[in-house]
Amino acid sequence: MSTSAPQSAGQNSSIRSQQIPVEKPEPPHRSQTQRRSQRTPITQYWYFLPASIVFCIFVAYPLFQTLRLSLSGTDLFGSADTFVGVRNFVRLFTNPDFVKILINTALFALYTVVPTIAISLVISLMLNRESLVNRVFRTVFALPFAYSVSAASIVFSAFFNPATGLFNEVIKQFGGSGVGWLTDQRFALLSIALTTVWMNIGYNILVLLAGLGSVPEDIVEAARLDGASGLRLQHYIMIPLIRPQLFFLIVTGTIQSLESFGQIHVLTKGGPASSSTTLVYDIYLHGFANNNSNFGYASAEALVLILVVAIITIIQFGGMGRKVDVA
Amino acid sequence: MTQFAVRSEFSNDINQDFSAIKNKEKEMKNGFKTALAVVAVLGTLISAGCGSASAAGTATKNAGPQTVTFWHSMSGTNGQVLDKLIAKFNKTNKDKITVKALYQGAYDDAITKYKSAVQSKSTPTLMQVYDVGSRFMMDSGTVTPMQNFIDADNYDVSDLQPNVAGYYKVDGKLYSMPFNSSMPVIYYNKTMFRQAGLDPDKAPTTLAEVKADAEKLSQKNGGPAQYGFNAAVYGWFVEQEIAANGQLYCSPQNGRGSKRADDFTFNNSSATTFLTWWKGMIDSGISGNTGTDTDDADSAFESGKVGITFESTAGLSGIMAAAKTKGFEVGVGNYPKIKKNNSGPIIGGASLWISKLGHSSAQQEAAWKFIKFLSEPENQATWHTGTGYFPTSKKALNTETDKAWRKQYPQFDVAVKQLESTKLTAATQGCSAGVMPQARKAVEDGIEKVFAGADAKTALTSEVKGLQSDVQDYNSSVE
Repeated sequence: MSTSAPQSAGQNSSIRSQQIPVEKPEPPHRSQTQRRSQRTPITQYWYFLPASIVFCIFVAYPLFQTLRLSLSGTDLFGSADTFVGVRNFVRLFTNPDFVKILINTALFALYTVVPTIAISLVISLMLNRESLVNRVFRTVFALPFAYSVSAASIVFSAFFNPATGLFNEVIKQFGGSGVGWLTDQRFALLSIALTTVWMNIGYNILVLLAGLGSVPEDIVEAARLDGASGLRLQHYIMIPLIRPQLFFLIVTGTIQSLESFGQIHVLTKGGPASSSTTLVYDIYLHGFANNNSNFGYASAEALVLILVVAIITIIQFGGMGRKVDVA
Repeated sequence: MTQFAVRSEFSNDINQDFSAIKNKEKEMKNGFKTALAVVAVLGTLISAGCGSASAAGTATKNAGPQTVTFWHSMSGTNGQVLDKLIAKFNKTNKDKITVKALYQGAYDDAITKYKSAVQSKSTPTLMQVYDVGSRFMMDSGTVTPMQNFIDADNYDVSDLQPNVAGYYKVDGKLYSMPFNSSMPVIYYNKTMFRQAGLDPDKAPTTLAEVKADAEKLSQKNGGPAQYGFNAAVYGWFVEQEIAANGQLYCSPQNGRGSKRADDFTFNNSSATTFLTWWKGMIDSGISGNTGTDTDDADSAFESGKVGITFESTAGLSGIMAAAKTKGFEVGVGNYPKIKKNNSGPIIGGASLWISKLGHSSAQQEAAWKFIKFLSEPENQATWHTGTGYFPTSKKALNTETDKAWRKQYPQFDVAVKQLESTKLTAATQGCSAGVMPQARKAVEDGIEKVFAGADAKTALTSEVKGLQSDVQDYNSSVE
């Protein structure tokens, strides 16, 4: 922020300097027109300045740094010290594990977003009618929202424990043999997704209930008079009317799932054998874990992530956004 | 697949859950600290970009009272013993030296933080770094070699255990002071051995014997344990098995000669035999698989679900305490080899490094004084008996504290004998390479691939290949 101070000082002085001619003895009408034509276009640009500075510091500069790092080799401490061109990208795209990581990332988004939306939609529709019981359950179902990612992950890791966990205990009560929730490559990603779904449902229900609450009573009344009830009412009236909320949740949920880190770190650290390593977690592994300081490679991955998020969001806006009155 | 069937009371499980939660909390803190490091790095980048990065070091040039900052990774019981030693030092050096210790998370997190501290010129005076981070510290150019202080002070190093010092010596020069040294040992449940009709005083010494005992111990074959054997998926165990059979982990000469290590060789016969053996145990249902978390493997053994496990000697105090509350007896034996031979496992653990980055010579001297204090026989005896780490001082073993302790708990003696009978060679010195931490992680990935059905040789060879660009990058950045 230190750069903003001298510049804003400069802003003041330059405005003042423009005002100086006004004080000179000149024909009054001419000076007025001159002032208007000069000041208006320049002054309006000054209004961009605060926003531009914030944008530069928080968006443009980090992005530029990421780009610079992705083209650099790093020294022992992770300082970018050599220009290596696209070497990091070549290594990234020729890494046999990279495809697997992208697939993991996509699967994780699928495993979390679809069940979260489906389950919270069903629960929200059930809780929408006003009653004392529903009020209690609304609070109950919204509670997971209050859990931090780490706290929820720790509780679930206790449930997942192959030797002492609750889940295997239940399976064994029914005669099963238990599952290696976090130690079996087939289940690790699913187990993390299960935890994430549980964590996200609370928030999704809150948003959907708010949406349902804002559905005008007269529309529902009219539909009822026309004979719509039960599933029919929900399907043709309620769900279409909360489309903006659903769209919002799908977009933010997808982005959130692509950027998940905490639960993966606490539950599996990306294992076993990279079976639960997503793009974000791989960035961490290359940048910070195991004495790695490969910020060049990690930054190349970060750019890929930005691209992936952007493409998916554009697709979502294209596919659903048009049907929804969002923008 | 590879899970534990749970037979115990539900209340026990709840206790287990809580202990697991505690362990996870520890990890969570580490995760949080990593996040802080990320923020710190970002902050550095931003401030550097604004041209306002302060280049001023934190050096204080006065020779008055000194404050030694000390970053370490000792938590739990071991952290408490360390705090006690520090308090003792601060008390005797009142108004002269104050040691300020700061727990910086697990070794991996701590070294990451050290790296960002190097960039922001805010390193601690004294830094505890794990064994595999040694080469990196030497190459970092940020430390004063311990040998400098030893020479200037005419410090007598004959009391140092040669096998322990061997790990931290390159070209006969000691770069850091070994502090907490440990070796892997086999832990077994003596009570279960009796129940299964095995001799409780005879620990298995080879992989084949471990397998034979595990078969008898397993519930599957009518034994008392849910699983006869279980160990954490920890790359360290593979390093140990390779050394215990006299083979090398990296070439040339484990990086101990005049040439830097430039390739890994952990796809050798010791490693593949070990992994094939391990995988076979899991497949036949006599070994569990609790994943990469060492705490999970410990708690499986401590809760009496597993008959035999591998763990560091540093875990001895914790395991003995847990066994006492659970009501079983613990036996300790030498780390098993493939065949009997006179090689042995590598010294593991960590050592202490004095950072020269922005630290005045007076401050470094103060840190050296603290290191000397920690190396004193009496303090090493406190350390050994309180934690299970191996004493770095030979005389420590002859102190009354230590003798009485080992008489009461002969389990502590096993590691001492294992160490003393190990010959110091390139193999038992272990691989010295800058990317050892990455190699350890790669081996763990290899183990998991083998567990999922891959051939051991193929899996390990592909991990060796994957590390080649890392090794080259590292070597070219320090040469």
